[in-house]
Amino acid sequence: MITNHEDCINKTDNELVRLSLDNPDHFLCLSKRYESKLLHYIMRISKFRQEDAEDILQDVFIKTYYNLNEFDDELKFSSWIYRIAHNQTVSEIRKKVSRPSIPLEKEDIDRFEDAFDITKEIDNSFDREIIDKAISQLDEKYREVLILRYLDEKDYVEISDILKKPVSTVGNLIARGKILFEKEYKKLLINK
Amino acid sequence: MEENKDISQIAFQKIKESGIKPISKNIFNLKKVLFWSLFSISIIVGALSFSMALSILLNNDWYLYNKLGFGFIFKTLPFFWVGCLLIFTLFGEFYYRKTLLGYRHRIITVVGLYVTITVISGSVLNIIGVGKTIEQSLFDNLPVYHLVVFDRGEIWTHPERGLLSGKIINIGDKVIEVIDSNGVVWNINIGNNILLGKVKFKVGNTIKIVGDKDNDIDNIFNAEEIHILK
Repeated sequence: MITNHEDCINKTDNELVRLSLDNPDHFLCLSKRYESKLLHYIMRISKFRQEDAEDILQDVFIKTYYNLNEFDDELKFSSWIYRIAHNQTVSEIRKKVSRPSIPLEKEDIDRFEDAFDITKEIDNSFDREIIDKAISQLDEKYREVLILRYLDEKDYVEISDILKKPVSTVGNLIARGKILFEKEYKKLLINK
Repeated sequence: MEENKDISQIAFQKIKESGIKPISKNIFNLKKVLFWSLFSISIIVGALSFSMALSILLNNDWYLYNKLGFGFIFKTLPFFWVGCLLIFTLFGEFYYRKTLLGYRHRIITVVGLYVTITVISGSVLNIIGVGKTIEQSLFDNLPVYHLVVFDRGEIWTHPERGLLSGKIINIGDKVIEVIDSNGVVWNINIGNNILLGKVKFKVGNTIKIVGDKDNDIDNIFNAEEIHILK
């Protein structure tokens, strides 16, 4: 019998992991809890179409369940499942030689605009298209930390756990990424 | 964004239909133990390497620089053990990074920690004599070791080059009798100008003598410096 929503809602991720190992039905609660967040995350970092991102997410859930015993309480479950999603997405990106580029969603661009004063400094009516372009043109290592920090609202330790990079490196990448984003944004705005 | 499919449900159905079961916890525990063990082994080998290098440096015959020059001193430096230490520092860093939260720390932090541990434990091993014991044991039992590490003992078996070592069997007023590793008994003339340092002659001590072999009479050696073999 599939566990109903009420059974899951008050349980922590760690409790659901333990319960899932005894009864796989609980895993459904766990995956539902992360479905939307991870789908957005996969689309943001890959720029894949939604159906492709959904295929990746299915694989992420299957891999997560298969490796559930690897999860350690010293990590947050969210960091661990984001790491699996990140690795799976990066691996799919490498497989595909060319792919359609889907622009970031409006809410994502709004959040980016809020995070960077530069857009307000330059032009009050900021240009979503330019923000999206500026983000896209960043090197992958900067793009992934900025997405995790400002769109998925992860803290430095969580980003460190997801990307398996030292916390100090994450801090440096975010600081450098912000500078590069602002530079790119200004450049694109001038050339518009 | 398009309306979402129930991906969780689809994935869950696939898991059920394919009969996928989580990998056993033991496999992951084994992996954890393996990486911590490899990291620990890297530390132990690193500490031993440091201990050996330290032992070689502390017991080196630096005073032969005047007689044999820089080339000799260069050959006696513990390159092999310093190389081992560097290689195992890299292994240590690699295996630490493979542990659960190893990636959270910067390479400089991990290497710094590794070096600190190996230097402290290597120094302790050297103080309790482990470095010297292992070095001697390797020289005695592992022929290939002679190819990678300079045998400092061998240099003292060349009286014709003014370097001799042996065990004291008799102490006279101006002459000491020693027996070398080939069983040859030598009469060592100790003049008034000899640099004795902290040498206290005692029958049974092994000494290293810098001087000249007498060209006229067999087995006479005129000492300039005498050092106790540590």
